[in-house]
Amino acid sequence: MNPLTTPVGVSHFMAVGAVMFVCGVVCMAAKRNALGVLMGIELVLNGANINFVAMSSPFLSAHGRGGLGLDGQFIALFVIVLAAAEAAVALAITLNFYNNHATIDVDRADELRG
Amino acid sequence: MDQSVIWLSLIVFLPALAALVLAFIPKGQPDVIKLISLAATVAVFLASCVVTFGWFGADEVHFQKGVAEMQDVFSLPWIPSFNIFYFMGTDGISLPLVVLTTFVTMLSMGASWTINKHVKAYCILFLLLETGMLGVFLALDFFLFYVFWEVMLLPMYFLIGVWGGPRREYAAIKFFLYTLLGSVLMLIAILMLYFNSDLAELARISDLLPDNAAASVKWADLHIDPSATQAAEEVALAREAGRIPPAASPVHTFNLLALAAMGQHTSLFNDQLLFGKSMQWWSFLLLFIGFIIKVPAVPVHTWLPDAHVEAPTPISMILAGILLKMGGYGIIRICYPICPDAGYDLAWLVVGIGVISMVYGAFAALAQKDFKRLVAYSSVSHMGYVLVGIGVWSAWSGTNFNPEYWQMGMNGAMFQMVAHGISSPGMFFMVGIIYERVHHRNLDEFGGLFAKAPIYSGIAFGIFFAGLGLPGLCGFIGEVFVTLSVWNYSHALAVVSASVVILTASYILWTLQRVYLGPEYKGPHGDHITPITGRELAIGVPLLAFAILLGVYPRAVFDYTTPSINKEVTDLAAWTRATKEEQLLARRMERDRRQGVTDDPLIGE
Amino acid sequence: MHTTLESSLPLLLGMAWLLPLLSFTLIVLFGQRMGKHGVGASYLATFSIVVGFLFSAISLGLWLYANPLSAAHAAEPEAQIDVAREHKTPAEEHHAASDLKAPDYYTGDLYTLGQFGSLKISISYYIDALTVGMFAMVTLIASCIHFYAIGYMHDELHDLTDHEVTLADGRHLHRPGRFHRFFQYLSLFCFSMLGLVYAGNIFMVFIFWELVGICSYFLIGFYIERKSACNAANKAFIVNRVGDFGMIVGLMALWGALGTFAFGDAKQADGTVARGIFSQVRDAGQEHALIVPDGMVRASAWKMVQEVAVDHRDHADPAAAESEIESRLSDYRDQHYGYWLLVVAGVGIFCGCVGKSAQFPLHVWLPDAMEGPTPVSALVHSATMVAAGVYLTGRFYPVFTPEARLVIAYTGGITLFLAATIAITATDIKRVLAYSTVSQLGYMMLALGVGGWVAGLFHLITHAFFKSLLFLCSGSVIHACHTNEMPKMGGLLKKMPWTGYTMLAGCLAIIGAGLPPIFGFWPFGFGLSGFYSKDSIIAQAYSFWMANPTHGMILFAAAAGGASITAFYMFRLWFMTFIGQPRDHHVYEHAHESPRIMYLPLVVLASFAVIIGWTFPGVWSVTDLLEQARWPGEAGAGVLMPSLIYPNELLSHQHHVHLIAGLTAFSTALGGFLLATVFYGVRWLNPAEVRQQFAPVYTFLINKWYFDELYDVLFVTPTHFVAMIIAWFDRQIIDGFINNLARWTYRVATFDDLIDRYLVDGLVNLTAAWTWSLGNSLRGLQTGLLRQYIMLIVIGTVALTIIVNFASAG
Repeated sequence: MNPLTTPVGVSHFMAVGAVMFVCGVVCMAAKRNALGVLMGIELVLNGANINFVAMSSPFLSAHGRGGLGLDGQFIALFVIVLAAAEAAVALAITLNFYNNHATIDVDRADELRG
Repeated sequence: MDQSVIWLSLIVFLPALAALVLAFIPKGQPDVIKLISLAATVAVFLASCVVTFGWFGADEVHFQKGVAEMQDVFSLPWIPSFNIFYFMGTDGISLPLVVLTTFVTMLSMGASWTINKHVKAYCILFLLLETGMLGVFLALDFFLFYVFWEVMLLPMYFLIGVWGGPRREYAAIKFFLYTLLGSVLMLIAILMLYFNSDLAELARISDLLPDNAAASVKWADLHIDPSATQAAEEVALAREAGRIPPAASPVHTFNLLALAAMGQHTSLFNDQLLFGKSMQWWSFLLLFIGFIIKVPAVPVHTWLPDAHVEAPTPISMILAGILLKMGGYGIIRICYPICPDAGYDLAWLVVGIGVISMVYGAFAALAQKDFKRLVAYSSVSHMGYVLVGIGVWSAWSGTNFNPEYWQMGMNGAMFQMVAHGISSPGMFFMVGIIYERVHHRNLDEFGGLFAKAPIYSGIAFGIFFAGLGLPGLCGFIGEVFVTLSVWNYSHALAVVSASVVILTASYILWTLQRVYLGPEYKGPHGDHITPITGRELAIGVPLLAFAILLGVYPRAVFDYTTPSINKEVTDLAAWTRATKEEQLLARRMERDRRQGVTDDPLIGE
Repeated sequence: MHTTLESSLPLLLGMAWLLPLLSFTLIVLFGQRMGKHGVGASYLATFSIVVGFLFSAISLGLWLYANPLSAAHAAEPEAQIDVAREHKTPAEEHHAASDLKAPDYYTGDLYTLGQFGSLKISISYYIDALTVGMFAMVTLIASCIHFYAIGYMHDELHDLTDHEVTLADGRHLHRPGRFHRFFQYLSLFCFSMLGLVYAGNIFMVFIFWELVGICSYFLIGFYIERKSACNAANKAFIVNRVGDFGMIVGLMALWGALGTFAFGDAKQADGTVARGIFSQVRDAGQEHALIVPDGMVRASAWKMVQEVAVDHRDHADPAAAESEIESRLSDYRDQHYGYWLLVVAGVGIFCGCVGKSAQFPLHVWLPDAMEGPTPVSALVHSATMVAAGVYLTGRFYPVFTPEARLVIAYTGGITLFLAATIAITATDIKRVLAYSTVSQLGYMMLALGVGGWVAGLFHLITHAFFKSLLFLCSGSVIHACHTNEMPKMGGLLKKMPWTGYTMLAGCLAIIGAGLPPIFGFWPFGFGLSGFYSKDSIIAQAYSFWMANPTHGMILFAAAAGGASITAFYMFRLWFMTFIGQPRDHHVYEHAHESPRIMYLPLVVLASFAVIIGWTFPGVWSVTDLLEQARWPGEAGAGVLMPSLIYPNELLSHQHHVHLIAGLTAFSTALGGFLLATVFYGVRWLNPAEVRQQFAPVYTFLINKWYFDELYDVLFVTPTHFVAMIIAWFDRQIIDGFINNLARWTYRVATFDDLIDRYLVDGLVNLTAAWTWSLGNSLRGLQTGLLRQYIMLIVIGTVALTIIVNFASAG
C-alpha cells in the first residue's frame, strides 16, 4: 500500500509528529545554545501534541470513533499551557545563567557534575 | 495467721526499714546513724525473742517447743501467675538460726563502732544484709528463698570491697564470683524442680481428694495457697475421672514443703536427664555444690580465707557466724527432703567432703602465720563436721543401722552450726580486738598478752577453747555427737574424723601460746595494748556466756531442733524402707539374673 | 538402809563434787577482790575441798555401815578357787551361778544432754565401793595439798621476780603474783577429777577426762611466761589428745553397737530396765562371764541380719523378723561375730588411759609436766589425774577381752621398766619422782593386765598417798633450796628433819618395805602400805605366769626387776638429798625447814602412807572395800589368741603364791636398796666412775631413750610438713587454679574484645566502604553535560523500545 495514495489517516499525522519529535530531540542534543535547546523542547512537545490530537480525532479513525476522544484534545491543550509555563521558567533560568556566567552555552553549565 | 505475718515480716524487713530511715539522716552524724542501726538490730533481736519465747503476751506466734511441723506459717500471693507466694514460716531447724542471726548481727553492730569510713553507707548495707539473711532462713517459697539469697550477696560484696583491708578488691570479687557461681547452679536446679513439680499429682495421693482421707500426705501440712489448692484439686479430679490424660496440665509450685512431699512420695523428679542420672540426682548435685560453696567445703573454700582476712571485724563475725550456716541449712532444708533418692546415692559424697574438709582445714590452719587466716581455716574444719553429721545416712531395716544414729548426726550437725555461730564470731572478735590495737596479725609477733590484758585474754581463752571442743563449752557437743554418729556409716571415715581432735588441739594451743603466753610482747606498737573496753566486754561476754550455756546445757538448742530434725530423718528413713530398699533389691535381683547368680543370700525365698 | 543410801550417797558425793565448782566460779569472778592479793581464794578453795572430804568420809562411813566388810572374806579364796569353770558339774554350776553376785551400785541420771529416739546421752552417776573409796582418797589428798599450797605459793601473794625468765633487754621478768589463780585452777581440777569418778557413763567420763586434761594444761603452764612451761603444757594436752583419739574410737565402737554409754542398769520411769554396758557384757545369766553383747553381734553380723530382714519384707508381721534375728544371735555369737568390736572398744578406751596415765608410748609428757608448781605435781601428776587412767581401766575392766588385757599388761610392763631405767640417771628431784610415777602407774596397769583388778586399784590408792607425800617433800626441799638439782643438795636431814623423815617413810612405802610371810608374822606379812599392794601385784603376775608360760615370764620379770630398780633410785634420791656432806654450801646455808602449814600435811600423808594398806578385820581394809566393787566372772580364753588364759583372780591369794611373790618382792627391793646404799649411802663405790664405765648406756638413759627426738622426727615434723604442703596446695594449686581461671577469663574477654573490634565492626565498616566506593565510581556518569544526558535518555529509550519489542516478539 502506497502511503501517498491512501487517504490521510492517523498514521500520516503520526509520521509528521515523529519527524517533529526526532527533530526536536536532535536539536536538544546537538545545540549548545540554551535557546536552541528550548526550541528543541518546543518541537518535542508539539510533536507529541500532534499525536494526541490525531488520536483523539473521530474523523481520522478507521471506524469513525475517536480513540481517545476529548481526552486527547484536552491533554494537547494542557501541553500547550505547560509548554508556555516551561518556556517562561526556562528563559528566566537562562537569563540568570547568562547574568552569572556571561554565556548561554549549556556545556558550561556543568557545576552539578559528580 | 495475721499475727505471724506481722511478726515474721517485722523480723525480716525491720532492718531494711531502718536502712530506709538512715537514707534520710544527714551524713555528718555518724553516731546517730550507728545508734539507729544498733537500735534496729536490737529490736530485731527482741522480735525474734518474742517469736521464740512468746514475750509480751504474743501467744499467737509463740513458738511451741516439741512440735516438729512448721509454725507461724503464712502465705500471701506475690506473683500468682507463676505460683510464687510470699510464704514464710519457721520450725526447729530455722528458728535457732534466726535467733543466732539476730543475736550475732546485734553484737557485730556493736563491734562496728570503730568503723569511721562512710558510716552511713556502711550501716545501710549492713542492715540490708541482715534482711537478706533472715529472709533466707524464714522463706518457705523456693523463689523467695532465692531472692533473699541474692539480696544478701550484694551488700556483702560492698562491705568487704569498700571497708576491707589492703587486698579487699581481690577478696570481694573472689567472694562474689564464687557465691554467684553457686547461685547460678542453684537457679538451674530451682527451675528444673519447678517445671517438674506437679501439685495435681501430689493431690492425687494426698488426703485432699475425698476418697483417700487416710493418705500419708496431709495436704494441710503443706500450707499450699487456696488458689493453687483449687487448681490442683480440679486437675487431679479431672485426671482421676479420665477427662484429661494423666500428666496433662500440671500445676507447678515453688512451695518447699510441697516439693519435699513430691520428692518423697511421688516419682515426679525421677525422670532420666543426663548420663543415666535422674533429674533429682542432677538437681541435688547442683544445689549441693551451691550450698557447699557457702559452707564452705574443700575444694571450693578458698574464698573464705581471703574474705575473712580482708573483711573488717564485724563483717568477719557475720560471715563466719551466719553466712556459713546457710549452706548447712540449705542442705538440711532443701537438698535432702526434696531429692531423697539422690541424697541416698550421694551420701558418700557428702560425708567424704565433710571429712576431707575437717582434716584439710585443720592441717591448713596449723600452717598459717596470719591470725585471722588461721581462724578462717578453723572454720573450714569445723563446718566439715556439719556436712558429716548431715550425711551419715545409716538406715536399713532390721540392722543396727537404724535412723537414730542419723538423727544424732543431723542433730549434732545442727548443734554444731549454732555452736560455731557462737564460737567463731567470738574468735574473730578476739582477733579484731588485738588487731585494732597493734595493726598486725602475724602470729610470730605476739606473745605476753595475758600479762598486759588479762580479762581480754581470759575471754579469748574461753572462746578459743570452745573452738577446740572442750567439754563444758559449745564446740564439744556438736563435734562429739557428729563423730559418734559416723561409726555406723563408715568405720574408716569415723576413725579419720576422730583423729581431727588431735590436730584441732595442736593448732589452737599453739596459737594461744604464741599470742597470749610468754614473757613479753614481741611485735610493733606494744604500748598500744590497752585493757579491754566496756564495749568490747559487752560483746565478748555474751558470746562466752552462750558458749558455756550451750556446752553445759545443750538441750537449750536440742529442745527446739530435735523434733523437726527427727521428723525429717524419720520421714526419710520411712522413704528408704518403703521405696529405696525395694529399688535396690530389685536392681540387685536383676543384676543377679543377668549374671546367673542363684545363691545371693539377699534374694531368699 | 539401802533405800536411804540410794538417795543420800548421790547427794553427798554430788555436793562434794560440785562444791569445788562453786569455789572455782567465785574465784574466777571475784578472786582478785578476795582479801589482800586474793588470799581469800585459798581459804575458799580449801574450805570447799575440806567440806568435800567430810561429805566423802560420811559417804564412806555410810557405805561401810550398809555393806560391812565381811570377816569371812579371808577364808573365801580357798572356797572359790576351784570354781574354775572347766571343772564344774551342772549342779555345781547352778550353785556357783547363784553365788556370784554383781557388785552393788547406785546409778541414775542427773540430766540429759541429748536424746535421739532410744539413744540417750546424759549426765549421770554410778556409785559403788570403788567410787566411794576414790572420793575419800581424792578429797583427802587434795585437802592436804590445798593446805600445803597455801604455804608453798605464798610468793605469789606479792609482786615477784621470775629468775627463770629473761626478757629481751636482759632483765629478769618482774610480774604481779597470781595467788588466786592457782587456787582457781586447783578447784576446777578437783571438780573435774571428782566428776570423772562420779560419772555414771563412759561419755561423762570422757567429758571430765578432757576437763582434767585442760586443768592439767593450765596448771603445768601456770608460769605462763616460761617457754618451757608453755611447751610442756601444750605437749601434755596434745599427747593426751592422741590417747583421746583412741578413746573416741572405742566410744564409737561401743555407741554404734550398743547405743548406750551407761555403766549400770538403770530403772526407767516405765518400770523397764535400761541395760548398761556392764550387765550386757557380763550377763548374770552366764555367770557374769565375758560375752559379746547382742548389739555388737548384730552390728558385726549385719549382712546376715539384713538378709533376714529382707526375707521378711513382704510378710505382714514386723515383729517376726525381729524375733528371728533374736533367735539367730547366739549362733552368730558362737562364730565370734562382734568379738573384734569388743576388742576395739576395749583397746580404744585403754588408749585414752595410756595417754592420761602416761604409759608407753605416750609417757613423754609427764616428766615435762613437772614445770608446774610442786603442789600441782603432787596432786595432778602423781596422785589423782594420772591415776585416772588406771581408774578408768579398772572401772571399765569388765569389758576388756583377754587380748585387750594382754595389751594392757605389756603396756604396763614396758612402761614400768622404761621409766624406772630413766629415773636412775635423772638428777632433777622432781623428774626422778615423775619417772617413778610413770613406772608405778605401769605397775598398776601391769596388775590390771594380768588379771589383778583388786591388786591394781589397791596399788592406785596406796601409791596416791605415798607419791603425793614424796612430791610434797620434794616441794619442801625445793622451797628450801630454790633448786631442783640433787647434785646441789645433800645433808639436809639436819636442817629439815620433818621433811627428811616423812620422805623416808614415803620411800620405804614406795619400795614396798615390809617383812614377807616367811618371817612368820601375819599370814600375808607385815609392812608399809606399798608392801601389800606391790606384793599382791607380783603375786598376780606369778599366778598369771602359772597359766601362760611365755607372756607370764616376761611380765613377771618386768615386775620383779622394776621393783629392784625402784628401790635403787628412790634411795639414791633420798641419800643424795638428805645424807652425806652438803655439796653446795650456798644452798645448804639458806636451807630451812618449811612452815608448819607445809609440813603438817606431810605428817598426815606419811601416816596414811604407812597404814593405808593395813587390814583391820571387819572394820577396814582397802582390798575388801575394792572386793565389793569387783565384777565376778571370768574373761576366759582369748579368741584371737586361744592360748591366752586368764586364771581366776582369787587364785593369787593362795598361800604358796603369796610366799613366792613376797620373797621376790622383798629380795629385789632389798637388792636395790643395798645397791643404792653402796653408791650413795656409804659411798663405797663412786657413781661417777660407774657412769664413765657405762657411758653409752648412761647417755641413752639421760636422753630418756631418745623418745622426744624420735617423736619429733616421726610425728611432729611430718605433721608440720603436711600442714605446710596443704597450705601450699591451698594457695598455689586451688587458689592458683582459681586465679588462673580468672586470668584466662580475662584473656578470653580480651580476645572477645578483639573480635568485636575487628570482625564485627569490620564487617559493618566494609559494607559502608563498599557503598561509598560504588557511589564514587558511579559519579563519573554525572558529567553535568545536558546534552549528554539527553543522548543517554534517547539511547535508553530506544534501547528500551528495542528490548521490549524483541522481548514481546520473542
